[in-house]
Amino acid sequence: MDDLISEFLTETAESLDVIDAELVRFENNPEDRAILDNIFRLLHTIKGTCGFLGLPRLEAVAHAGETLLGKFRDGELAVSPPMVTLVLEAIDQIKVLLESLEETGAEPAGEDSALISKLEDAAMGKLEGAVQPDAPQKPENWDEDLGRELRPGEVSLADLEAAFQNADVEPANAPGDAAPAESAPVQHLGVGDFDPELGRELRPGEVSAAELEAAFMSADVEPGYAPEPPKAFITDDMSHEEALQSAMAELKGVDHVAGGEGGPRVQQTVRVTVDVLEGLMTTVSELVLTRNQLMQTIRGMEDEELKGPLQRLSAVTGELQDGVMKTRMQPIGDAWRKLPRIIRDVSTDLGKKIELVMEGQDTELDRQVLELIKDPLTHMVRNSADHGLEMPADRVKAGKPEKGRIKLSAYHEGGHIIISISDDGKGLDTKRIGEKALEKGLTTHDELERMTEAQIHRFIFAPGFSTAAKVTNLSGRGVGMDVVRTNIEQIGGVVDVASTAGRGSHFSIKIPLTLAIVSALIVGCDEQRFAIPQLAVRELVRVGAGSEHTVEKLHGARVMRLRDRLMPIVDLHDVLGVGEAYSGGEDEAAFVVVLDAGGRNVGLVVDNVLDTEEIVVKPLSESLRNVSAYSGATILGDGSVIMILDPNGLAGEIVSAMEEEAVNDMASASVTELAQQTQRLLLVRAGGTEPKAVPLALVTRLEEFEPDTIETTNGRQVVQYRGRLMPIVPLGAEIRCTEGQRLPVLVFAENHTAIGLAVDQIVDVVEERVDMQMSSDKQGVIGSAIIKGKATDVVDIAWYLDQSRASDIQRRSASRRRKVLLVDADAFARRMIAPLLAAAGYDVTPAGGMHEVKSIAEAGEHFDALVGDPAALDRIRNEGMWTNLPALAVTDWPEDTPADGLTVVLPRSDRGALIAALDEVSQEEKVA
Amino acid sequence: MSSQHSDNSGLGAEAMNEYVSVRIGDQLFGAPVDAIREVFAPQSVTHVPLAPDEVAGLLNLRGRIVTAIDARRRLGLTPREKTETGMALGVERGNEIFGLIVDSVGEVLRRPRSELEPVPAHVDARWRSMVKGVHRLEKELLAVLDVSAVIGTAGQTNKAA
Repeated sequence: MDDLISEFLTETAESLDVIDAELVRFENNPEDRAILDNIFRLLHTIKGTCGFLGLPRLEAVAHAGETLLGKFRDGELAVSPPMVTLVLEAIDQIKVLLESLEETGAEPAGEDSALISKLEDAAMGKLEGAVQPDAPQKPENWDEDLGRELRPGEVSLADLEAAFQNADVEPANAPGDAAPAESAPVQHLGVGDFDPELGRELRPGEVSAAELEAAFMSADVEPGYAPEPPKAFITDDMSHEEALQSAMAELKGVDHVAGGEGGPRVQQTVRVTVDVLEGLMTTVSELVLTRNQLMQTIRGMEDEELKGPLQRLSAVTGELQDGVMKTRMQPIGDAWRKLPRIIRDVSTDLGKKIELVMEGQDTELDRQVLELIKDPLTHMVRNSADHGLEMPADRVKAGKPEKGRIKLSAYHEGGHIIISISDDGKGLDTKRIGEKALEKGLTTHDELERMTEAQIHRFIFAPGFSTAAKVTNLSGRGVGMDVVRTNIEQIGGVVDVASTAGRGSHFSIKIPLTLAIVSALIVGCDEQRFAIPQLAVRELVRVGAGSEHTVEKLHGARVMRLRDRLMPIVDLHDVLGVGEAYSGGEDEAAFVVVLDAGGRNVGLVVDNVLDTEEIVVKPLSESLRNVSAYSGATILGDGSVIMILDPNGLAGEIVSAMEEEAVNDMASASVTELAQQTQRLLLVRAGGTEPKAVPLALVTRLEEFEPDTIETTNGRQVVQYRGRLMPIVPLGAEIRCTEGQRLPVLVFAENHTAIGLAVDQIVDVVEERVDMQMSSDKQGVIGSAIIKGKATDVVDIAWYLDQSRASDIQRRSASRRRKVLLVDADAFARRMIAPLLAAAGYDVTPAGGMHEVKSIAEAGEHFDALVGDPAALDRIRNEGMWTNLPALAVTDWPEDTPADGLTVVLPRSDRGALIAALDEVSQEEKVA
Repeated sequence: MSSQHSDNSGLGAEAMNEYVSVRIGDQLFGAPVDAIREVFAPQSVTHVPLAPDEVAGLLNLRGRIVTAIDARRRLGLTPREKTETGMALGVERGNEIFGLIVDSVGEVLRRPRSELEPVPAHVDARWRSMVKGVHRLEKELLAVLDVSAVIGTAGQTNKAA
């Protein structure tokens, strides 16, 4: 019986999870019969099995719950949240009873009459007029009686239900024609149908005596007595235990009918304990190791006789490994199953309205990984519901739908599974997090000032960090996102957050599909070997000793040029503190393993690359677990133990240093800063063969002029253009006109003036990240960058504009030069826009980061308008600075940018519009 | 191996403690037999850079990875010469196996439980945390190792130190 109970516990726990989730779905779709039928069937099976196993308490609760559900099913009661809560209470009580059953092997003492009578009241009390006068007031306990009668053990209610299902008879049969014939399929009477033997209609939870009779007959009461069963489902030669098991198999089939479409889809499955699978996995791991060892031994030999069989052994081992791995795979939906219920509880408790959307439930991953992320996921979803989403009233005020939305999705990406949890709530409170981080001593004021929002948001993953202002029932109980992060990192995963104030947050988790066997690169360093997971290896580069690549030093830091990009380099010798670091000398050779560390390329210097091998990852003992350089250890084919390097751990410090660098770049107005976004550049040739680049966004038009249309007046070259004279300035040394060829000119127009920049040839338009490598002293050149693999001068348009303007009449000599604060995190944009505004007669103060803006504010500067990227302007407003000033946002995606709080949103490429808008707002201001 | 001490004969069959006698540095220690899974000669120990000092490395014991703990370092004694391999006591804790590296392993000793004396209070605190008591043998003292304490705090030396 013990085996039966434990199997019952497993099955029932799964069913209850399904019921939880389905009930929540049902509450939202009360019209969906399929869901209700599924719930009803599951609960009914539980009840039946309890009766069979002699568990009266469980059975009574299940029965009461089922009765209430029956009322929904018959349409006698309307579904309402309190009703669903009541049924959920019953489910919870069943869980409590099951727990104790699991611990002690018996039902706990006591009874559940309070809950049961509540359920009964709900089912009966509100049922006006439907109660037949001669019917007993409390639900009949016949099924309990039946359970007792059955205990010699012939058939369970589950079997009975299965038998109904199998009898292909419409439930809505007219009363009276249900006369059971021996060995013929039994008519199934639905609730409310008239049962001739009972002399009244069937009540919820009742079955006609005829059906009961048929079920009895199908079980082996006495050999020779029983006629043919209604269906082959329960056969004579089955013992009652087998019958129960087949009922459970049925139940398992039902588990998978989530949507309830179609009948139960019975799957051919065998239930195997996890221990067996784990044992199998270990054995296969050992087999893989032995195979590797054999392969290594044989490699040196020329034994043809061995080679064939060994090849086969190798292939079969591989297949076996794949097969065993598959048995460990489980859909991620299993980890999500509890979530709908949790969300429902949160929404009821807090009075929020929440919609939970799940995508990619079928995405499979290793059982072990699944177990490890279950709790972090639950925690994160809870957090989103509790802290992320606002109260309905606040949402409406913010112009959002009343119902909040939490979306979970999962998909595979190259050996990893990506899980994301996003909500459309209020987003992370950057200010609060910053304050909290200061309070906890995680950072200093200065550091905080320099941080980007994303960096500040990441504090939520710092140990002991929890922002909940008050501890609610749901979260903020000391277990914070740091635990989530630790759990995820323990299995080689990464977690990150992106959040926009007012729009919501997006958490993404990237974890390996399996932890057990990975393919690894074996590298040597100071006469020791280390394994690096192949998943993290992007490429291998040989350096020194005749290789075209070299490791160079930049103020003590090592870098390497790889396809026109500079890549930071760490030396494994330095990291581990062993041997001599690679000198970078001409005759010394080494290898650089290009690693993907948190999405960035980092080069790792090792002495040599030895092999690739399938390794079985073994966890490290406690004493080594907090050495971040390793993720585990493994035994190689030759029996030796080597350490597995953790790319994230190795590069962790470098990556955070890189992020800091990026921030510093943004803050300083140095010429070598990195522009984060791609720029569309016009490549031209002018005076010399090397290309020059002009940001396309600044060019108004491209024109071509006949050489003879160019005239000279007052020592300047001009053309008649649209009824005006437009000065032409050569981008090269001089205007070179070739006979019969038209002269290409880049036209820059603003307001009513325009100038033309004459070039020799327009080469191309490219879209690239501009990575300014060198500044320039040359006038008219901002600096040099590598564009399309060539060193290219980037033209300083503003200088040329100034050149042509120099002799112009001072545009606004009469009026005061108006002051504009230009805020843009993108240094490139800043450098481009500032001179344009200056050329248009504005006094421009550029600022890169918030701390710069703040110090300008503290200096008491006054401005007439703010220009900048929307995010920066938002932050300035939120800080309460210059709130009365017009704010003009320039962005590459004007249509995606909400204009709340901003005077106008303009495309970055339309500088004419920007100046026009600026002129306009300053006019208004003057009037006002 | 039958060293009967019968001074407490009045109590009949006396409870005996069994120890694997090991030598670490100059001191004789006894490791309770039931705490030891096996005794083996550690071979090809892989050094683990960055690991805490007392972790001598990792080794392969019939397909399982064993974390080798250097008993000398744990007890604050002078480290062994590189050439001395020593012996290892296999200790299982949870799912992990540890190998406690000692200088040499001697015979199994049986001592009456009642003869176990507490560690004198003026002995170094680190020792006291890892030694459960002392037995007086004829020629020398046998310090009884608390094996799980020697292994156990390996990960949290900072706390112990």
